[in-house]
Amino acid sequence: MLDVGRHPNISLLAYSEVEKVEGQEGDFTVTVRRKKRYVDETKCTGCGACAEKCPTSVPDAFDAGLGTRRAIYSLFAQGIPSTHTIDPDYCRQLNGKKCGICQKTCQADAIDFDQEDKILELNVAGIIIAAGYDVFDPSQIPEYRYRELPNVLTALEFERLLSASGPTDGHLDRPSDRAVEAEIEALEKKAGKSKRMLEKFEKKFDESSEQFYKKYQKGEYQDDDDRKKWADKYVAYSAIMEPLEKLKKKAENFTTAKRLAFIQCVGSRDFRFYPFCSGYCCMHSIKEAIIAHEHGPETTSSIFGMDIRAIGKGFEEYKIRGGNNSNITYIRGRVGEISQGPNDNPVVIYEDTHERQVKSQEFDMVILATACAPTSGIIELSQILGVELDKYNFIKTSPFSPVDTNVPGIFACGCVGAPMDVPESVAQASSAAERAAEIAIQLQPEKEKIVA
Amino acid sequence: MNKDILIIGGGIAGMQSSLDLADMGINVHLVEKLPSIGGKMAQLDKTFPTNDCAI
Repeated sequence: MLDVGRHPNISLLAYSEVEKVEGQEGDFTVTVRRKKRYVDETKCTGCGACAEKCPTSVPDAFDAGLGTRRAIYSLFAQGIPSTHTIDPDYCRQLNGKKCGICQKTCQADAIDFDQEDKILELNVAGIIIAAGYDVFDPSQIPEYRYRELPNVLTALEFERLLSASGPTDGHLDRPSDRAVEAEIEALEKKAGKSKRMLEKFEKKFDESSEQFYKKYQKGEYQDDDDRKKWADKYVAYSAIMEPLEKLKKKAENFTTAKRLAFIQCVGSRDFRFYPFCSGYCCMHSIKEAIIAHEHGPETTSSIFGMDIRAIGKGFEEYKIRGGNNSNITYIRGRVGEISQGPNDNPVVIYEDTHERQVKSQEFDMVILATACAPTSGIIELSQILGVELDKYNFIKTSPFSPVDTNVPGIFACGCVGAPMDVPESVAQASSAAERAAEIAIQLQPEKEKIVA
Repeated sequence: MNKDILIIGGGIAGMQSSLDLADMGINVHLVEKLPSIGGKMAQLDKTFPTNDCAI
């Protein structure tokens, strides 16, 4: 990433979108909209002082919604460019409220609330589409109850939990436990405020609130307005403390997730959604199970799948190593349902096809190996570029020219064309780069091309 | 005639294409929808089968 940002031959147009493409191979005119960040790219040093002071917290899409970021943000800590961006949906100043704290904080004077979109016109010889994919939304599958059961996660969400730079610093804290902890924090804040108020009264009347309230209940001080207020405040304080104590007791037993279930083919190899195999999810689950075991050696993982497709250099060995060294059990069978067990534990109901039995098993956390779905803006983009899509909305290519689209001079690589893993994406990317370079150095590829 | 290449998407595929072309001496314009490049791979903790860091 750093190399891309630094390379003298690369002009990086982040936070931008292609709006219009005209022309043909060798001579395209492209209109690019540089969206307004409300931050001057030339001035912002990426120090992050603005994000520290910003009062608005927003769910962090980069952390798959598991963490929070501020309304002024950089996408992630190591992001290139590190220029911060103001989220216009959440920023107080941009939504008519009085704020502007980031503007006062910024020493580089980079914040510009009056910034406008910039339109850029580029003349290029060729185009490579590498627009990627979207994670399949498993809430479309009712039997897995994603979003309904707190401890059922997608593989990408689980990846963020595993990451040392993620919302839990790499600890496998369960979302249900994190919700309770957040509630405790909010109640403690409220209780602190309430307690300070009581302390004022205690100081004034030189008596503990508890003692006073006992007397008050017996009928003393009924005519004293000030004391009446005190009593009300004490009742309010007790109403906060009671659930707080209960939650705290519950939180004492919280541990990180130790029993993990991975469910394969969520949305893929499923005729209700995508009949194709997404290819990378088997390995992805094995990897996550191995890393989870590295984080906590007592962690056990069960991977439920029709078959484990470990196709690639070193992949089968990786799978076996996971089974031998990382407490992974591979179970052949499709999961029919996930239900709610005690302590927010998801219960997986499945058929073990080796034993021909329907079984159920309780876990701490269930991870759904979600399919590779076409990226959301692809239809619009394909219309702008005039490229054809296949029936699933991936870009149409042929087996003998896997990076060529139907438009000469426009190439596609990575998951925008078909689901694939990182090594394959890199290989295709180099291939697309080479095809584009042929045009750029003005070879005549069509005449010399040999079709197998 | 202009010999620049436009790349749409700054994930692992877009970055790799950009670097390959740029190393050949070709000017590249890399367009990314989000504020920073990196794509889905930047969200990954480690990559299989070597467990290398993704970033």
